[in-house]
Amino acid sequence: MSSPSDSTTAAIVAAIQQVLHDTGRTADAVEPPMLLSSQLGLDSLDLAQTIVLLERSLGIDPFRAPSTGAARPAIRTVADLVRMYSQGISDRPAQRLP
Amino acid sequence: MNTQTFPNPSPSHLADAPVEDRLAFAITEVARQFPDRTAIVAGAGGETSRTIDYATLAGAIAKLEGSLDRVRPVGIVARAKRTESLVVIAAACGRQHVPVAFLAEDSRDLIGELRDWVEVDDSLLLVANPAAQRREFEAVATHVVVATSGTSGPPKLVEHSWDSLLAAARLAEQWHGLGWILVYDATRWAGIQVWLQSLLTGGRLVVPASRDPDTVLRAIVDEQATVLPATPTLLRRLLTSADRSLLAKARLDRITLGGEAADGPLLEQAQTAFPAAKITQVYATTELGEVFRVTDGLAGFPASWLGRSLAGGARLGMRRDGELLVQLSRDSAEVATGDLIEKRGDRYEFTGRRSDVIVVGGAKVFPRRVEDLLRGVPGIADARVYGMPSAITGELVAAEAVLTDPLPEGGTPESIRAGALAACRSGLEPHGVPRILDIVKKIATNPAGKVPRRQA
Repeated sequence: MSSPSDSTTAAIVAAIQQVLHDTGRTADAVEPPMLLSSQLGLDSLDLAQTIVLLERSLGIDPFRAPSTGAARPAIRTVADLVRMYSQGISDRPAQRLP
Repeated sequence: MNTQTFPNPSPSHLADAPVEDRLAFAITEVARQFPDRTAIVAGAGGETSRTIDYATLAGAIAKLEGSLDRVRPVGIVARAKRTESLVVIAAACGRQHVPVAFLAEDSRDLIGELRDWVEVDDSLLLVANPAAQRREFEAVATHVVVATSGTSGPPKLVEHSWDSLLAAARLAEQWHGLGWILVYDATRWAGIQVWLQSLLTGGRLVVPASRDPDTVLRAIVDEQATVLPATPTLLRRLLTSADRSLLAKARLDRITLGGEAADGPLLEQAQTAFPAAKITQVYATTELGEVFRVTDGLAGFPASWLGRSLAGGARLGMRRDGELLVQLSRDSAEVATGDLIEKRGDRYEFTGRRSDVIVVGGAKVFPRRVEDLLRGVPGIADARVYGMPSAITGELVAAEAVLTDPLPEGGTPESIRAGALAACRSGLEPHGVPRILDIVKKIATNPAGKVPRRQA
């Protein structure tokens, strides 16, 4: 597994911050170890919105991609998202960046 | 242009002709008395416009009728792009008792159902196909085939008799010699109704070069068109995006809305912009034709109409879940329209199509409700709400909005967007709040001029 790039992490942090902003909440800090639900207060709608924003910025939606058969790991922290998107980006066939 | 009185194919005269002959008859009558009278202005409001007079139309119709008589096709598919060609084809096929189909570009793949029908394009030339000729003495009910726009399901072909096609045409004196703007697709039901109406009454059909609001208004002003049939979406776009000075110059006597339900605020805005206009809302579908008209300027229709026979003979009903049912006549079956209505005071108003509903985590959201809310936000001129697929919640509510020009005092696109989201949070259930709100230059519409409800 390749190490997560800074830009992937930055994109995910930005998406979460946008969700918090759009829903009238302030985003003091969004750090990789933080828990999405209990610390950041994100519910399923918030997560769904985050995924749409990330499809726009990173060009992939790993939640829609066919799974490899192995159980998908739980997404509990920001770092879990970073891992998932980094994997998704490296799995993607070589193509021009969006 | 002087508003002379007019020739008339007078109403009684026209009624004497067999219904499928009436279009050709009307055009020929006007051509006989006023050959130079303009029938169609194409490309109006644009760089170059083209004028076709009644005499030219009559001549082309006669020529095509000759070909139809020689070739004897089983049916004709009108593939022409120019409105004048479609008119000629319809008139000639009607009088020659040949079935005719109008198919738009995006209905190309429906043509398989019309095997053996001969295609005619703008050249109006007919190529004989000996394998597909009507047999001598074969009686075929003359009919007209129209494709639905696909808003209520996948596009499909619908057959109408000439009687049903002309049923809603208004032929009284007061409708003669008017200027009609055609912003609808000329191959679909609504567009066909407009050009039929114009040509049956010796009117002037004005076809704008494009649906761009300024072009449409320029067409109205330059050609002195006074009747605007349009969808609420197109009208709203005209009112919000068009150049203000052009809007002030346009004088409309009649606005006929159809294809979607109009809301109260739009009706008020339209009346303010066009104080002399009589605004009519027509409820019609490609399958049913026109069911009823509302002329009181209010959204929806009077509650007293439910369960009663209406002027045109139709009867309205409502299913328990709010779906509008229509029974065209005592002998016809009750049709579920797919449109949902809700009683508000002494009226029933349209809340949206059953298929529009967005399902977010199992909870239902009606796009129209969110749109009404967004349009009430200062700084937002128009909005479109649609469903966006989500692997997590099934769908999400997404929206695009056009800002007012100019922006409200002290407003920025960002502050207006934040304000809109806040308004949604306080006015809607959490699942109904748009999760995506894009600020755009114009609202997406489909070829029929209506607003798409799934991601465009």
